[in-house]
Amino acid sequence: MAIGRKTIRIDERAPLLQASGVQVTIGKKRILESADLTLERGELVAIVGPNGAGKSTFARGFCGLRRPDGGSVRWMGVDLSELRGRRLADMRAYVPQRAQVPAGVTVQAAVNIGRSTHLKPLQGLSSEDRDVIAESIARARMEGFEDRDLGTLSGGEMQRVQIAIALAQGSPVLVADEPTAQLDLGATAAISKMLRELVSEGMGVVLIVHDLALAAAIADRVVVMSHGRTIATGTPEAVLSSQLISEVWGVEAELVHKDGRSALHVEWLDHH
Amino acid sequence: MAAALVLAFCASLAFGAVHIPVSDVIGTIFGDKVPETSQQIIEVLRLPRTIEAILVGAALGVAGACLQGALNNPLASPDVIGVTSGAGFGAMLIILLNPASVELLPLSALAFGLIAAGMVFLIGFTGRGGGNITRVILAGIAIAALFSAATAALMSAYPDRVPNAVFFLVGGLTSTGWENLETVWPYFAFGFVLAVFMIRPLDKLMLGDDVAASLGSRPRLIRLLAAIAAAVLASAAAAIAGLLAFLGLVIPHLVRLLGGTNNHTFVIPVSALAGAALLTAADTLARTIAAPVEMPVGPFLVLLGVPLFLWLLRKAV
Repeated sequence: MAIGRKTIRIDERAPLLQASGVQVTIGKKRILESADLTLERGELVAIVGPNGAGKSTFARGFCGLRRPDGGSVRWMGVDLSELRGRRLADMRAYVPQRAQVPAGVTVQAAVNIGRSTHLKPLQGLSSEDRDVIAESIARARMEGFEDRDLGTLSGGEMQRVQIAIALAQGSPVLVADEPTAQLDLGATAAISKMLRELVSEGMGVVLIVHDLALAAAIADRVVVMSHGRTIATGTPEAVLSSQLISEVWGVEAELVHKDGRSALHVEWLDHH
Repeated sequence: MAAALVLAFCASLAFGAVHIPVSDVIGTIFGDKVPETSQQIIEVLRLPRTIEAILVGAALGVAGACLQGALNNPLASPDVIGVTSGAGFGAMLIILLNPASVELLPLSALAFGLIAAGMVFLIGFTGRGGGNITRVILAGIAIAALFSAATAALMSAYPDRVPNAVFFLVGGLTSTGWENLETVWPYFAFGFVLAVFMIRPLDKLMLGDDVAASLGSRPRLIRLLAAIAAAVLASAAAAIAGLLAFLGLVIPHLVRLLGGTNNHTFVIPVSALAGAALLTAADTLARTIAAPVEMPVGPFLVLLGVPLFLWLLRKAV
């Protein structure tokens, strides 16, 4: 049944994701000028930057949700243009910023749908698929919630279901757009721990995040974006200097990071 | 629901202007020896009509479920993509302008239902931002208004022939043998098969466009294909039974309320069963209640469906 399908060659030694010079134009406006990102196995990369810097557009671009107009995106050495449907789904899972919450669907049913790329049309779930689904629910800490209706979940629970759906997809990379944006402190910490666990198991995670203190605490590397470009990449300590924060966000602030705790000391009002 | 359908099926064959004992009905189906008149009535008149009721009911139920999923809108029904108005116009062209060639009525209704839907899809799904739900629905309302206006113009031009059109407009089945089905069955077949293949994609779409895209699907394509399945099924249904769009709106809701789930794996097949059962039951009632006069099934369907629907609605919310 491989009629009309080119075989693709996955390079196991290539980075999970290598994006360079990615451009996206919406209408006549170029939203993304040039953005780069490399993701290795067992690595968590955070994309940070002010509102409107192009973070989400970049992520949607390299995930193939909106195909880029320029630059190169390679997933395990395979060009994005060769990846469609199941093959694209096998490379990465994308967790959207604002999840749609359909009532009348249970957690179990939603996560089952996440596994559906592994099935042929009209084929049912195998016992192996069911194991993966149960494991995804467990890794997202949603055990015991299987029969709950999505409409009855809290924001944090809903976000964990979204991650469970993405994990059931069974791809080596998880890309999440602000998964903690609407969450309280406890839920944010729970999601952060869960994402670090996935990374320690060898997955690659790309996180779009607003909170610099959070990014500094959980990311192996940060990518800073401003005006549609990636302008700095490196470890949080090396990149998120007071000077860069001042240049990019226009705010005087200092990142304090020690003993696994992080805080952003911000000069909220002018003190002269 | 399957049991209800079997029951309605048997009742539809047994009851009518002439009552036939249920034993004869079963006998005819399984080829046993039964009185010849009974066998004739069943095979020539009632069986085709019952099969029509089953197909039309199932088609409208599935069309509604597909559209409500594709447009992510609980108010969607075959009206919304112009099919009902288009098919109505196609029927009026024959009934009012060209009553001599009444045998072309199903074909004309089918063709104009599809033409109207085609126009909606052309406007709604092409170009930049195509596939936007609001755009599709607004295009549908505009095209529907266009065909309704054309129908109204025809009706005012030939007021003396309008009574002939009433039966089509309110919707109803007739005992005309297998002829109509012979013309229309490939459209039913195509629509049902496409709908079956859209079940899983519609489930993905239910979790949002981004989740569907994460799973490698193309949300716009899913919308278009599911809407095409709905348009073909609803047009084929209109060709046989006139305008019964109410069924397409209400059946999927009924099924969701009864089943307590929105999964298309459940909603689409059960909508087919429920639509078939309800239309078959309503048609049986419509031709027995004032026998030998036959009522059009459309109003009966509403009388039967609305209280059930409202009762479930109150119970659920």
